[in-house]
Amino acid sequence: MRRGLLILLVVALLLVFGLIYYSLDPSQSGLFPQCAILKFTGYKCPGCGSQRAIHALLNGDVAGAFRYNALLLIAVPWIAVCLYAESRRTRNPRLYARLNAPLLAWMLFIVVVLWWLLRNIFNW
Amino acid sequence: MQYWINHNGVQSGPVDLDALKQMGLTSSAYVWHEGLADWVKITQLPELQGAYIMEGSMPEDPVPPQPALNQSEPEIVDSYQPQPQPQPAQPQQPVQPQQPIQPQYAGQQPANAEPCPPTNLVWAIISTVLCCLPAGIVAIVYATQVTNKYRAGDIEGAKRASEIGAWWCIAAIILGIILQPLVSLLPSMMGN
Repeated sequence: MRRGLLILLVVALLLVFGLIYYSLDPSQSGLFPQCAILKFTGYKCPGCGSQRAIHALLNGDVAGAFRYNALLLIAVPWIAVCLYAESRRTRNPRLYARLNAPLLAWMLFIVVVLWWLLRNIFNW
Repeated sequence: MQYWINHNGVQSGPVDLDALKQMGLTSSAYVWHEGLADWVKITQLPELQGAYIMEGSMPEDPVPPQPALNQSEPEIVDSYQPQPQPQPAQPQQPVQPQQPIQPQYAGQQPANAEPCPPTNLVWAIISTVLCCLPAGIVAIVYATQVTNKYRAGDIEGAKRASEIGAWWCIAAIILGIILQPLVSLLPSMMGN
């Protein structure tokens, strides 16, 4: 019961945000907050460009999403698989264990840090 | 039918019925297959009768098997409960459905018999990608520690790492999604 309500709430929130990000372009509209780190330090963080990337993705512009934040584009299917594994942890403990293995987590850490450095060096 | 097995905290599978019978499991093992809501004791599945060894007895042991809980001091237990018949299906200890993988038997690796605490890795990735804050990266590091400590048998350390990682994720989400828009909107509001 509580679980069902939670899922309903999450789906409703996703729909609302999806609609906002689908119809409004963060690079045009002033409604969307700019990254504080970029603003104050001048350096991009690993998540910079995610809002524009989501807008591009929702409008079917995969190449644009890749340009704004390549990490986000790669992370979306990954997150979907991980969330699925999370919800099925008792039924399929192997999938969960594999996705959460320390080696994989370290690789993700390296990917994120590399992405953070390279995008500031090459202005991706 | 494919079975997953948790034996003394070590998880394996999927294996089919024949392979499972070759594994030399004892009555303290837990199994799961598609269709079951949760892990059950191996003694509870009728099709697995004879696929495991009662703890406290060798397979070729002629004496009646004894529940593993009483392995260390069988004489005392026998005096409490004279049990001439082997009782393969019912362990002495009542099974607790809420916490199916409990260290109930003979204290073998009690730490690993508990499931690994959540690593929060997904939430770490989500907050890294969405929250404009490097806090998610710290949470990724804690996610590796959860599993490492759990595998080393340090269940308390794993729980602590899991909790700290969760707080980093929560901090990233609160700061990145709720506070940061306020901060970045503030100068423009004051400027106008």
